[in-house]
Amino acid sequence: MKKNNSLRICLAQTNPKVGDLNKNIENHIEVIGRANKKGANLVIFPELSLTGYFLKDSVYDMGINIYTDESEVLSGIYKISKDMDISVIAGFVEKDQDFNFYNSSCCISKGRLINVHRKVYLPTYGMFEELRYFKPGNTFGVFDLDGVKVSVLTCEDAWHLSSSYIAVNKGAHIIIINSASPARGITAGLNKFNSMNMWEELLSVIAFYYKSYVIYVNRVGFEDGIGFSGGSCVFNPLGETETRLDYLEEGEISAEINLDLLNNERFKTPLIRDENLNLTMKEIENILNKKL
Amino acid sequence: MKKELPKIDEYNFPLIYKHLSNFIKIEVSKAGVNSVVLGLSGGIDSAAACYLASNALGKENVAALIMPYESSSESSFEDALKVVKTLGISYYIIDITKQIDDYFEKEKDAADTQNIRVRKGNKMARERMSILYDYSYKLNSLVLGTSNKSELLLGYGTLYGDMASALNPIGDIYKTQIYQLSGYLDIPKSIIAKPPSADLWAGQSDESELGFTYEIADDIMYLLIDKMYKPEVVVSLGYDENLVDKIYDKIKKSQYKRRMPLIAKVSERTINIDFRYLRDWA
Repeated sequence: MKKNNSLRICLAQTNPKVGDLNKNIENHIEVIGRANKKGANLVIFPELSLTGYFLKDSVYDMGINIYTDESEVLSGIYKISKDMDISVIAGFVEKDQDFNFYNSSCCISKGRLINVHRKVYLPTYGMFEELRYFKPGNTFGVFDLDGVKVSVLTCEDAWHLSSSYIAVNKGAHIIIINSASPARGITAGLNKFNSMNMWEELLSVIAFYYKSYVIYVNRVGFEDGIGFSGGSCVFNPLGETETRLDYLEEGEISAEINLDLLNNERFKTPLIRDENLNLTMKEIENILNKKL
Repeated sequence: MKKELPKIDEYNFPLIYKHLSNFIKIEVSKAGVNSVVLGLSGGIDSAAACYLASNALGKENVAALIMPYESSSESSFEDALKVVKTLGISYYIIDITKQIDDYFEKEKDAADTQNIRVRKGNKMARERMSILYDYSYKLNSLVLGTSNKSELLLGYGTLYGDMASALNPIGDIYKTQIYQLSGYLDIPKSIIAKPPSADLWAGQSDESELGFTYEIADDIMYLLIDKMYKPEVVVSLGYDENLVDKIYDKIKKSQYKRRMPLIAKVSERTINIDFRYLRDWA
């Protein structure tokens, strides 16, 4: 039974098979079953967990309009979430009624679709080419999950600090960042890839300065020589790591998110309370009106 | 501020090792096989690739081909044997002298000796490739590439020869870093200690042929490629202008070796132009 003010989550660090929706759904169902046995209320999968990441032209084959009977393909996930009274966040290629494609993450809770986040910031530089295929989302939403306010940001979204700023000021207590981040860059004296280090610094900053829980779920595996780094983890509102999965390895880990600590931190350091939204709005208007 | 090529050291080695092992394991299994075959020269690159593959797939799933030509150095042959014996992997020794000499017997009219030396070197590299791909079929294995980032960028390799492979675990690692990596892989010291050589003719040395050392070239290439600095910026950091220009020129002129052949676009959907899927598509 769920305690008040807390959420038991499972971080599912999976290795999706690129372009194989059915196999990935099967794997999701297995992982959800295991998480349920460990008492999880919520299982979180990485970005594009149902399809794989570097899809290129197969984006076209993967798109699902989740509001029509095309979502039937996900019926196994709806069913298990209902049967086990559990919530699932998974990544998929969303297609809308006008045939636009999005890099989306759905939250299916107890058999119902309760939220879809369409990735807003689509990296299209270096090795990334998301804007070639996807349409950007246009909001950072907050939704209620078993009484806890949650926001989902997808990978690059989190690199824009405005996304978490918006999320916490809209009331998010937990920021969930699902990702498909490739391992890259080495530094002498550093026991991880540079990309992992950048992520952890960012997650710590978001958690500490926005006084939120930050849950990062990254995938592993290789697609055409590009390896994803894993290292899924939970940061608490003190900016500390609470738990972490190994880098580069598939795995699952459970964590208890206790809002009492968040309450305590937000009282002692009321950064969110003191945020001057009017000032920010005025300045942004100035920026937009070029009155710099 | 001089930005240097990052060292592979005791701190970052464990994760790099795991990453490269995962790469070999996962990409090999996606091809529906579980083993690799590679050409072992006795040099450091193929030794490093061999150690990585043996760790990733198990020694029973790695086969080495040792393919000397009559002028190949004896010590390289000994070093290659040291690798296969230390690792306990299966190996095949195939002398390529006869087929190379038979071919060039009919090409005697080529007057220019420098030219014939390069042609012979390329022919040997492609002969070895051809044997590797035959063994790839015979042993139901993928051909593991052993070219490092330095030689791939400089174009210091034979197109469809030593540059050909199904997958390459060390192609994003500079030669200088291969030495550092090898120190942690327990590769025999005699292999690490000798000067780099393609061993295409007696006494050949990469560095005297190229006219610079890998150490300085790798620092420059790291800035030009990894950091994407313009050549003039690299020069402003204290590197010799002639050398920077020479290296940048080599990189540009060898771009063709790093790409698939050009295809004339005729249709509305052309392979590798706008027909775009991963190799891992299937």
